[in-house]
Order: sequence, then structure tokens, then C-alpha cells
Amino acid sequence: MKRTFPLFLLFVFGILGIIPFIIPHPVVQNTDDFLRNNLLKILAAFALILGLGSLLRVHFDKIKRKRQNWEYSWVLIITFVITSIIGLFGGVTGEGILPTRIGSFSFDIWTIYFNIEVPLGATMFALLAFFMASAAYRAFRARSSEATLLLVSAFVIMIGVLPLGESISHRLPSFTQWIMDVPNVAAQRGILFGVALGMLATALKIILGIERSWLGGGGE
Amino acid sequence: MKIIDILERIDRRIIYLVLLIVVVLPLIFPSVQSVRVMPPVEKFFNAVDKIPEEKALIMDFDYTPQDMPELEPMGIALLRHAFKKRIKVLALSLYVQPLGLAQRALTQVTEEFNSIAKTNADSVIYGRDYVFLGWQVGPILAMLSMGESITNFYRVDYYGNQTDTLPLMKLIKNYSNVGLVAALSPSDIPKYWVAYAQNRFGINVGAGVTSVSASEFYPYLQTGQFSGLMIGMKGAAEYEEMVESNLKVKGRRKASESLPSITYAHLLIIAFIVIGNISYFIKRRQK
Repeated sequence: MKRTFPLFLLFVFGILGIIPFIIPHPVVQNTDDFLRNNLLKILAAFALILGLGSLLRVHFDKIKRKRQNWEYSWVLIITFVITSIIGLFGGVTGEGILPTRIGSFSFDIWTIYFNIEVPLGATMFALLAFFMASAAYRAFRARSSEATLLLVSAFVIMIGVLPLGESISHRLPSFTQWIMDVPNVAAQRGILFGVALGMLATALKIILGIERSWLGGGGE
Repeated sequence: MKIIDILERIDRRIIYLVLLIVVVLPLIFPSVQSVRVMPPVEKFFNAVDKIPEEKALIMDFDYTPQDMPELEPMGIALLRHAFKKRIKVLALSLYVQPLGLAQRALTQVTEEFNSIAKTNADSVIYGRDYVFLGWQVGPILAMLSMGESITNFYRVDYYGNQTDTLPLMKLIKNYSNVGLVAALSPSDIPKYWVAYAQNRFGINVGAGVTSVSASEFYPYLQTGQFSGLMIGMKGAAEYEEMVESNLKVKGRRKASESLPSITYAHLLIIAFIVIGNISYFIKRRQK
């Protein structure tokens, strides 16, 4: 029963998810609308709580077992608790019951977001440029004909997409566009078909109960 | 030590330092670089331009601080275009993190227009000209549910107003009243708009994506599933160019200002790759 019932639910709702795309009858569409606007929204909210609970459990466990870099888990837990309290009781812009201003210093959610999350996020991503420059210098070598082709096309694309490409030759941006439109699309389309067929097969296996690893527990 | 050995083993700190200088200097002394508008962006501009008066533009702000430099200028240019042409805008975010950035873009462009507006009709007014629907749980749920009823799924807007009380939402019921969805996202979200909203409800979709993910979106443009495609900073700069030259909308062009920085950074990376390869071939010949 512990396994049969989730499998039965998955089968029913999996099929219900496909049918509205095929049958436009109002009864089918209204049922689908009801499921999405009522049941699924509630389920998704529960999933959010479950996710946060799981996150905290993982980090408390890491601290308890003193796993590698366990100290950083405290940073996550403390910031999670502080921002949750501020968000729940202080409001987004400080309109809640919890005061989020001391003199000219404010610490409402928006202030935290724009002064901590935005610069930190942007910094993390900006660092990539430096690592990429260093890695490209060390590893991007024309060791074979394929690598040379990759190198040349990378140069053409890099220069062609820039305003500089237009200055070198007015045909270079169009040539760059052709590389993206024809050889790139040909390769991407092949990948897309492969991925789509794989997804279809996996989805069918899950809906029909053949693939059961999502149930956890390491098998019967 | 021979010069070839030095070229082969440039310290990474030197690479970082030179790159830093090359990136930062053009940003300290900004200059707008004009660009040639390529067909994917031109298509996007035309798709927005052709939205009928009675239909709205859905703007899906899904960028985070990480991708903000590339995608925020697209959002601002699109908003300038829409407000100038008096196209109604429904803004939303399918994730929580982009909400603040979406609100910031909306506030900035609204203030730009209202600071020069002479009459109430010229002004951009919340609830009449645009609505910020905010966020609701489940990105795919939102895409599917808006096909039936937007106010039924987004019962309150970002500011807590009942959406069915807003004048704009009395006109825009579902996708049949929407001309285009502009999805600005660093992830697969534009593809989801095609898979769920377009396939089922026939809505037009335009995408603004980061340079690093661009190649995977081209097939959708070629098939016509995307009405247009903006790629990275260059795509944003092209849209800024079109908005300024075609619609005479003046405003700070952040993407166009950033292009010199990107140009020099690209050239530097190419130079380092060339240096690495020269030293590699010389060494190989010596062996």
C-alpha cells in the first residue's frame, strides 16, 4: 500500500496532466483549471515548506556530524532565521509590526535584497569572466583539426557579435549570424530531439510505474 | 628564462589584473557605442510594435542579480518601447528572486515617462497602463492558468490590490487579450512558454536570454515559435538602438555603454589564447 498508493496517484494525475492538451472539451478544461488553481497551488506551497525543512535538516545534520565546512552551515541557518523573521514580521519595505529602522539605518527585506543579495550575486557571476580568461589561455589549444575548427569558429563568433566585427568587415556579423542560424541550429535540433525523446520515454516509464527510483528506499 | 617560457606561463594574477583594467576603464569613462541591429532583435522589436491597441504585452522578468547586467537593459528597453507606444503591460516574475529587480525596472521607466508627461493621458499610470502581477507559486501553473483567466490565478497583484478591481484587468482577461509574452530569463523559461502557453493557447513568445545560453534558443527562432530573440548585452544594445532611433525615446543606454568593456575583454581573451597557442606550437616544434 505504501508504494501502490503513490504509484496509483502518479498514474491518475500524470494522465490528467496530458489529457487537457489533447481534448479541448469544456469539462476536461474546467477540471484541469480547477486542479491547477486549487489543488496544485496548495501542493506547491507544501513543497516549499518541505524544501525549506529539508534544507535546514541537511545543515543541522552537517553541523552535528562536523562535516567539511560545517561552520558555513551556521551562516546559512542564522541568515535564514534573521531574514525570515524580518520578512514575516517586518514586511517587504518595513511596513510590518517589527521595526526595521534604527535612525537612518534600515534593514527591511528590500534593503537586504538590494544591498546584500544583488551585489553578492553579481560578484559571484562576474568572477566567472576572470576564471574563463585564465582557463582559455591555459587550455584552449589547437591540438587537433577539431580543436582548430572550434578555435576559429569561436574567434569568428566572438569578434562577429561585437561592434568591432562590423568595423573589420560588414559581412562578418552576417557570417556570424549564419554560423548561429545554420550549423548551430542543426546541432541544437539534433540534441533537442534526443532530449525530447528521452524525456518522453522517462515520463512514460514513471507514469506507468516502470521507473520507481523517485519513491526512494532503494527498491522493494 | 626565454621569452617563450614567459609567454607560456603567464601568472593568472597578471591575467586577472589586465582583465580588470580592461573591463573597468570603459565603465568609468562610459561612451555609447552604436551597433548594427541584427534580424532576431529586429523581429522582436516589430513583434512588440505590432501589438494591437486592445491587447497587452506580458513581461516575464525572470532574471536574478547574476544575470541582471545582460537582461535588465532588455527589460528597460522593452518597457520604454511599450509605454511610448501606449501598449498595456502585465509584468510578472515566475520566481521570487527577480521580483525586486522587476519592480526596480518598472519604477525607473515609469518615472522617466512621468517626469516629462504634460497631461494625465501622457502619464504612465498603475492599473490603467500597467499592472505588476508579482509572483505566484509554480511557473508552469502560471503559464497554463493565465490561458483561462489571469485574475483567477493572480487574485491579488504585487501591491496587494484585488486584480479584478484594476481597470486594466477588466480588459485583459486571458491570452486572447495578450499580443506577446516577452520572457527575459537566463534559464529554460522561454522554452516553457512555448511548450505550455504557445502550444496550448497559441500565444506569441519573444525571448531575452544570456549570451552563454543563446545557442540553444536559435531553433525556436528559426521555426517561428519565437517572435524574436535578444541575446546578451549586444542584443539589449541593439534593442536600445532601435527604441532610440525609431521611437526617439531618450534614456540611459546601459547595454550600449557596456559594449566597449565587453569588446576589450573579448579582444584580451583572444590575445591570451593566441599567445598560449604561439608558445604551444613553438615548444612543440622544439621538441
